[in-house]
Amino acid sequence: MAPAIAKAAVLGAGVMGAGIAAQIANAGIPVRLLDIVPEGTAKRNVLAESAIAKMLKADPAPFMHPKNAKRIEPGNFTDDWAALADCDWIVEAVIEKSDIKRDLYRRLEAVRKPGSIVSSNTSTIPLSVLLEGLPAAFAADFLITHFFNPPRYMRLLEIVAGPQTRPEAAALIADFADHALGKTVIQAKDTPGFIGNRIGVYWLQCALAEAQALNIAIEDADAVLGKPMGIPKTGIFGLLDLVGIDLSPHVVASMLAVLPADDGLRAVLGDDSLIKGMIAQGLTGRKGKGGFYRLERGAGGAKTKLAIDLATGQYRPSRKPALDSLEAFATGGPRALLVHDDVGGRYAWAVMAKTLCYAAQLAPAIADSIADIDAAMRLGYNWKHGPFEMIDRLGAAWFAQRLQAQGLAVPALIARAAQEGGFYRVEKGARLALDAQGGAKPIARPPGVLLLDDIKRQGPRIAGNGSASLWDIGDGVACFEVHTKMNALDRDALEFLGKTLAIVPKAHRALVLYNEGANFSVGANLGIGLFAANIALWGEIEALVRLGQDCYRAMRAAPFPVVGAPSGLALGGGCEMLLHCTAVQAHAETYVGLVEVGVGVVPAWGGCAEMLARWQANPKLPKGPMPAVARCFEILAVATVAKSAAEAKDLLFLKPGDGITMNRDRLLADAKAKALALVGQPKPPEPAAYLLPGPSGQAALALAVDGFVKAGKATPHDVTVSASLAAVLCGDEADPTRPLALDDLLALERREFMRLVRHPKTLARIESMLETGKPARN
Amino acid sequence: MQPYHAPLRDMRFVLYELLGADRQLSALPGWEEVTADLIDPILDEAAKFCREVLFPLNRSGDEEGCRFENGVVRTPKGFKAAYDLFRQGGWTGLMAAGADGGQELPRLLGQMVSEMICSANLAFGIYPGLSQGAYAALAVHGDEALKRAYLPKLASGDWTGTMCLTEPQCGTDLGLIRTRAQPQEDGSARITGTKIFISAGEHDLADNILHLVLARLPDAPKGIKGISLFLVPKFVPGPDGRPGRPNGVACSAIEHKMGINASATCVIHFDDATGYLVGEPNKGMRAMFRMMNEARLAVGIQGLGLAEAAYQGAVAYARERQQGRALGKPSRPDLPADPILVHPDVRRMLLTIRAKTEGARALAAWVALEMDKAARGGDRARREETEDLAALLTPIIKASFTDMGFEAANLGVQVMGGHGYIREHGMEQLVRDARITLLYEGTNGVQALDLIGRKLTAHGGRFLRRFFHPLDAYLAAKAGDPALAEFVQPLAKAFGRLQQASAAIALQGLKNPSDAAAGAADYLRLFGLVAMGFQWARMAETALAALAEGQGGEADFYQAKLATARFFMARLLPECGALLATVAEGGKTLADFPDRAF
Repeated sequence: MAPAIAKAAVLGAGVMGAGIAAQIANAGIPVRLLDIVPEGTAKRNVLAESAIAKMLKADPAPFMHPKNAKRIEPGNFTDDWAALADCDWIVEAVIEKSDIKRDLYRRLEAVRKPGSIVSSNTSTIPLSVLLEGLPAAFAADFLITHFFNPPRYMRLLEIVAGPQTRPEAAALIADFADHALGKTVIQAKDTPGFIGNRIGVYWLQCALAEAQALNIAIEDADAVLGKPMGIPKTGIFGLLDLVGIDLSPHVVASMLAVLPADDGLRAVLGDDSLIKGMIAQGLTGRKGKGGFYRLERGAGGAKTKLAIDLATGQYRPSRKPALDSLEAFATGGPRALLVHDDVGGRYAWAVMAKTLCYAAQLAPAIADSIADIDAAMRLGYNWKHGPFEMIDRLGAAWFAQRLQAQGLAVPALIARAAQEGGFYRVEKGARLALDAQGGAKPIARPPGVLLLDDIKRQGPRIAGNGSASLWDIGDGVACFEVHTKMNALDRDALEFLGKTLAIVPKAHRALVLYNEGANFSVGANLGIGLFAANIALWGEIEALVRLGQDCYRAMRAAPFPVVGAPSGLALGGGCEMLLHCTAVQAHAETYVGLVEVGVGVVPAWGGCAEMLARWQANPKLPKGPMPAVARCFEILAVATVAKSAAEAKDLLFLKPGDGITMNRDRLLADAKAKALALVGQPKPPEPAAYLLPGPSGQAALALAVDGFVKAGKATPHDVTVSASLAAVLCGDEADPTRPLALDDLLALERREFMRLVRHPKTLARIESMLETGKPARN
Repeated sequence: MQPYHAPLRDMRFVLYELLGADRQLSALPGWEEVTADLIDPILDEAAKFCREVLFPLNRSGDEEGCRFENGVVRTPKGFKAAYDLFRQGGWTGLMAAGADGGQELPRLLGQMVSEMICSANLAFGIYPGLSQGAYAALAVHGDEALKRAYLPKLASGDWTGTMCLTEPQCGTDLGLIRTRAQPQEDGSARITGTKIFISAGEHDLADNILHLVLARLPDAPKGIKGISLFLVPKFVPGPDGRPGRPNGVACSAIEHKMGINASATCVIHFDDATGYLVGEPNKGMRAMFRMMNEARLAVGIQGLGLAEAAYQGAVAYARERQQGRALGKPSRPDLPADPILVHPDVRRMLLTIRAKTEGARALAAWVALEMDKAARGGDRARREETEDLAALLTPIIKASFTDMGFEAANLGVQVMGGHGYIREHGMEQLVRDARITLLYEGTNGVQALDLIGRKLTAHGGRFLRRFFHPLDAYLAAKAGDPALAEFVQPLAKAFGRLQQASAAIALQGLKNPSDAAAGAADYLRLFGLVAMGFQWARMAETALAALAEGQGGEADFYQAKLATARFFMARLLPECGALLATVAEGGKTLADFPDRAF
């Protein structure tokens, strides 16, 4: 079956346009990227070409794999206009000026193929305005597709279909965006700013104005609005620095141009002289000469962080927030913060009370369901909870009472939620959301979406302990879920995996390893490991190493398919879990790596052995024992982490037959399907024999490491750890003519791990990782 | 009453034979002269001073006590003269910097002298002891002007110091402090408030008293984060540096106590008194903790000194007192009865005191030497290791040594029977004097919480590593030595229990902190036993080596060491098993008991 969208085009090679093109390329679809021909240059495609070049260097990378850049065909509005005839979908992402956009649409009418679909990435211009003066045939094929920046990573896509839009066209784009681009599609209405920006812009402006009114230190403002409210720790000023302070007046102006006269945004806008002054000085944020925060390099190269004083507009040294209200949050949660009478508490209440009320007042007008608004704020602004989920967390009745006590009007929807005991409730395993009419509707999932979160509401787990659980996901498939902090693997999780292997055959045909945390697993629990090492519990540590090896080996040998379904980080022991699966169905945004050397040890849950086996079997490498060893060493010695599932395939963390799912919400369903397809198929056997280079190989690798030391790229402990890694990969004293068995490799992994884990510098690396999130370079 | 004789032979054993401290110290910059030639005479002199000057004042000082008259505190007869001798002998500045007129000697040496003072006359020792704490806090946190003006006076002993933390409404919980500090234009501050339980807060031994006072600046954050440290002299020094005008510091009463009666425990009022900020505003706890940690180690040494005194008294009595016959065969058929030393239970008590005292002395010396080495040499990593170790062992030394001192004094009374209970023999005074050491500078319960809450959890257990890894390496190295098996094997078993208990406490701390807190005291006791056991294994090894080399006429000394080591391993260390069991039990039986049923 030919894909519905076989070829696409993006008009406008700015940050958004280029990013959208990259994501279409990531989905495997060829795409044209066009922009104007700038005056005075012979390179007519320079805008698109330089956008692609820039994206290839950007971090975080817009491309999931560098080769995806080849799917983008750069061009220009003049020479390549006629070529748009071969595109099924044309996304317009030019400057936010309706006349320019309409002019392009009129030109498109001359060339686009019949039935092709055109969409605009406008963030503020209503669809009705965009269509003024355009023929009905165009309107039928036109809609708004509003992406969030950066398009690869932000999962939200707001789609606005007008009254004239063909339903099939809107459905086709929604389906493509969902399956191929991996977006969560929210159907928005043709209202200013749609959902995310309508609330987000209000929140930002309100937070800015209140901060100035209260003259709160910006560090304090960011600290109370960040983590305590489940908002990224950049808070408000950090976020403005990140997105660019100069963007803010444009967004506000274009919103004001289309908002109703009585909209709440008009009432919260404060004095904008500070922002204007900053923009005039080039203080536009991280891309400029600094923003609300600024890093200054002192005489000795020491960096000092400065922060703007909102009252004076002058920089001063940044200081750590030390507010009683933050401590109140630490012990009493968000409520304790919001009622606190210090400046932090008053600020957080002022901003959040207004923002949540604004969202509640607007809800019926801007979305079909409050669940869509919550999803938009989660996926478009990275809030941990959307506004209505936030109110539920605080307690709707409590929130309504507090509003009343403060003399504020209680929006009807909030009053209703207070009566009903919240915006959301669970009935017979289904989650219902309050609607504006006073009823409660089940939250709709797109067809084919399977979520563990939903399954958990429908009944108890099959079995489990404090670290992991086993769920029945239907059709004879069970799901093993880790649910520790960061999904780190501890003894309980491994032991339960062992038990799972015995439970599954009783009533199930296949097993999926999956969870809905931000990360599949960050690997072994370092905190417990460090403590055990510090108190010299070597026997227990070695037993845990062996337990992991045994568990993963048993999993590989289990008489049913085991499919790993990772998303986010799959590091260390989490990666090794995947390496031992029958197959993997990975979310496109999966970051796999064996990063053990970063904390001063070697992979020892079979990771070295399996990587060696995979590279030895790779037909692209030259013959002989050394090439595979050298390749594995290259990958493992620098703790390489694949930046996407596609990259993980290059590194053989994933096998060629492993699947990739673009949409996070479809991962479990895809993994389940893969598992069912594998039922009854022969399982890949254990690696039979390893021909390894032994001491000569280690000597060669040591020479390479020595080069890094001389270049100042390797530390003394890197040398120690590399030597251990080389000893494992080369088979220690192996004779290149006599094969080693898997058991020998696993014994070597254990030996070298145990040798390194006693080393003070390894312990310093682990400690540093736990305390700062970064390994010590010692 | 049995006169006190400093345990010089055992101190030398620890210094030279166990630790090789002379060799290690004299290898450090500035301490090239610190060899046995320098150390021995100092120890001998200190021993003589304690025997001849301080010990004779111990009983009389207790009987007479301090007197409070019209705002003035009079120390017991003879104390002023003894303090003058002490000061003139240079003992107050033993460890102070040369620049301040001190002798700049290692902590290890100062600690052994302290032990002797505490054995001979604990109440006396409190006066110079507090000055040492004040010196340490000021030397690290004070600015140059403060240091120049006050450190030489503390080093010479001309002036003494205090620590003013406690207030009527706040003891352990220093966040409740109310004493106020009002900054003045000249950079000083006016201090107003009432402090209680101030040891050496007022007395007639020195010309001036320097109070280190915790107080709150205006608008300081609430609780512990809003406390600053101030130096408040009793008399504000004039331009000539001599004590000048009185400074709004007044003593209104002294406490009537169970013990240490010759030590003045004062209620001190500060009324607009001039004070000087020490360290940064609102960072007073940092300086306070430095002083506090010094003080906690010093109190541990008090426990050690008291245990030694109890041992000497009890042994002398047990040799002389004749009652009953040894089971089996009489030991002195020529006498109407055998000395009570022959009775197993008396021997049990004496050996219990002795084994713990000698183990504690070695442990304290090891830590002091490590601190000396880190202070004079070594890189940053080495200093961090030692700071970790000292931080870890401070609550253990404070609590387990003072538990030991009190237990030893009580056993001393028990050995003596009714004669221990009357004043004449001085043993009951040791019990009363020892009792306070379990309370002040943080009760032993607070020490246990410090151990499990701060020290055990710090940096993923890094502090623990500084003790566990050396012990683990020692056990691994000696595992195959048959001559050491009788020491190393029980130690290895006890160490395993300490490892298990540590893991249990850490897990409890994550799941339910009150479970961990419920086992804290037992955990600390277990840790203390293993730490002493480590020293006992090394002491046994040292004694065996000395015997193998044929150390002439001292075979009895080494044989006694080995015998004490065997007693420790066989009779004291097994308690670790019971302690692990209670730690592992958690706090359920404590939590489940209804409050109203108490």
